[in-house]
Amino acid sequence: MSSTTTQSGLSRARRGLAPGGSGSAPGKRRSKLSAQATKTFFWLLLPSVVLLVLIHGYPLIYAAVQATHDGDLLQTGNFVGAQNFATVLSSPAFWKAAQFTLWFTIVGVFGSWLVGLGLALLLRTRIPAGNTFKVLLLLPWVVPVVVSSTAWNWLVATPDSLVPSLFRNLGLGTPLFLADPTLASVTVMVFKVWVSFPFMMMMISAALASVDSTVYEAASMDGASRWQQFSQITLPLIARSNYISWILMTIFCVNDFPTIYLLTGGGPVNATTSLVVLAYRTVFQDFATGPGVAIAFLMTMTLVVISVILYRQIRKSSVE
Amino acid sequence: MSAVLHAHPESGPTLGVDAGKRRRVLSEAGQRGRWWRFAAILIITGIVLVPIMVTILLAFTPGPNSTATGLTFENLGNVFSKTLAATWLKNSLITTLSTVVVSVAVAAPAGYVLSRGRSKAVSGYSLLLFVMQSLPIITSVVPLFILFAGMGLVDNLLGLTIIYVGSTMTVATWMMAAYFDSIPISLEEASWIDGCSVFGSFTKVVLRNSLPGVLSTAIFAFLLAWNDYLVAIVFLRSNEIFTLAMGVQSFFQQNATDWTSVMALAVVMMLPPVIVFATLNKYFSVGGIGGSLAGR
Repeated sequence: MSSTTTQSGLSRARRGLAPGGSGSAPGKRRSKLSAQATKTFFWLLLPSVVLLVLIHGYPLIYAAVQATHDGDLLQTGNFVGAQNFATVLSSPAFWKAAQFTLWFTIVGVFGSWLVGLGLALLLRTRIPAGNTFKVLLLLPWVVPVVVSSTAWNWLVATPDSLVPSLFRNLGLGTPLFLADPTLASVTVMVFKVWVSFPFMMMMISAALASVDSTVYEAASMDGASRWQQFSQITLPLIARSNYISWILMTIFCVNDFPTIYLLTGGGPVNATTSLVVLAYRTVFQDFATGPGVAIAFLMTMTLVVISVILYRQIRKSSVE
Repeated sequence: MSAVLHAHPESGPTLGVDAGKRRRVLSEAGQRGRWWRFAAILIITGIVLVPIMVTILLAFTPGPNSTATGLTFENLGNVFSKTLAATWLKNSLITTLSTVVVSVAVAAPAGYVLSRGRSKAVSGYSLLLFVMQSLPIITSVVPLFILFAGMGLVDNLLGLTIIYVGSTMTVATWMMAAYFDSIPISLEEASWIDGCSVFGSFTKVVLRNSLPGVLSTAIFAFLLAWNDYLVAIVFLRSNEIFTLAMGVQSFFQQNATDWTSVMALAVVMMLPPVIVFATLNKYFSVGGIGGSLAGR
């Protein structure tokens, strides 16, 4: 991969490739072009800025207003300060949802990473029709969640569904995958791993592709075993990429709504209610706008921290 | 290492390993294990695809009230003739295609500025876009619901499109910027010497050479808009305004026992992304897509 294609958006912005900004341009033309460029840049960026303010900026500020007021969807009530946050933070439902979100995220991130890593390593070797498998294995990620959750429902929802019947025939009892709180949590997490592993597989495949194979030749000449090659060479070489995909997947898992909501609706007995599902239900089913937005706000603050960490990682890796 | 962030189509298959390299890695023992590995991947892929195969199979299986035998197109016909499926499909297509066009139209110029600009403001804006894409959509959905209700944009495909464009533009801009980075500035300098303006060199030189970048951004916007459920469930109220995501879901709840019809509609919904992905697979840039699905 050439050096031009390996810079990220960040280093680019920082290093600055403004027209006329490169050293080769004579000083006079540079300043003339820069003035023109600034004006053009302003107009080129304007639609984007307007949209960002309208769809992201305004809602964020208004959300801050709602989180500190009582009232409902139709009318913002009186200023109540941090009371909504206090209500949320003192409610057991919030902590239960936070706990579920934490487990959901841990299993989602590392489960999909392990499966993705295994498959990426397997697909890296020469296999007949390897590319076809690569594309087929991406399908869980490409198919809309509305569709796949419907299929999963058909497979597991009732005692007579395919998977419970299979268990029964194997003499393992008839598990109620979506009716038992523990099993429902497990099912939602397995579903999430099923949806997400192709993404991890893609990230890891791309990272593996950039590893120079001569390293392995040298290592095997020195008598390194397969496992040693994997743990001493492969893993360290793809570490930064793994780290980035973990953080990205963390953001996806924390923000995830459809995989949980469509499979279980947050039940049974709130066992699979994540923070997003709780926020959604608080606002649109209980019509408690303030507390609902307060939950979303607490998530937002956590995610800002995570995404700033990610931003730094990407910047670091683009400097290398 | 950062190649991961935006593997470009020209620099080899995005998902694959360079064939030459692989061949060299391969030892004789590896050669022997080839068919064993083939069997393993075949079984794994088979298990992984069970839900998708089940969907397709049920969609073409005769329904409970059907006299047909074997596989049939009856369910698909019924879904289109007896439900609002055609309207939902049309709504999904309109919303998704508008989102794709407007997203690219907004993200391409902004991405150009991110790629070529070098002021503090530009790098600050780049960070801002990055942070915004990771925030939960649920935070903005409530205020936007109130804002849009006042403007008549709730239960309205235009309102839905505006939100989709808003949520795709952050990552789309990053993807475009990353692509523009791969286009050498010297090409533009040549056009400036010929008297071209900055805007002229953007459209005539940069954009004209950016088809793969534009395509991968478009695919991303397509997938996000087509697959969305959260925004649709909040903003859409009436049956005839539903997108396919809402349609399949409502249909599934109302006709929980009529699996064949539900699956027929599900197949209609999953076909476009699968086709887009199968044909334009090589334009997928991994990292850009990565950041993109934060809202899912």
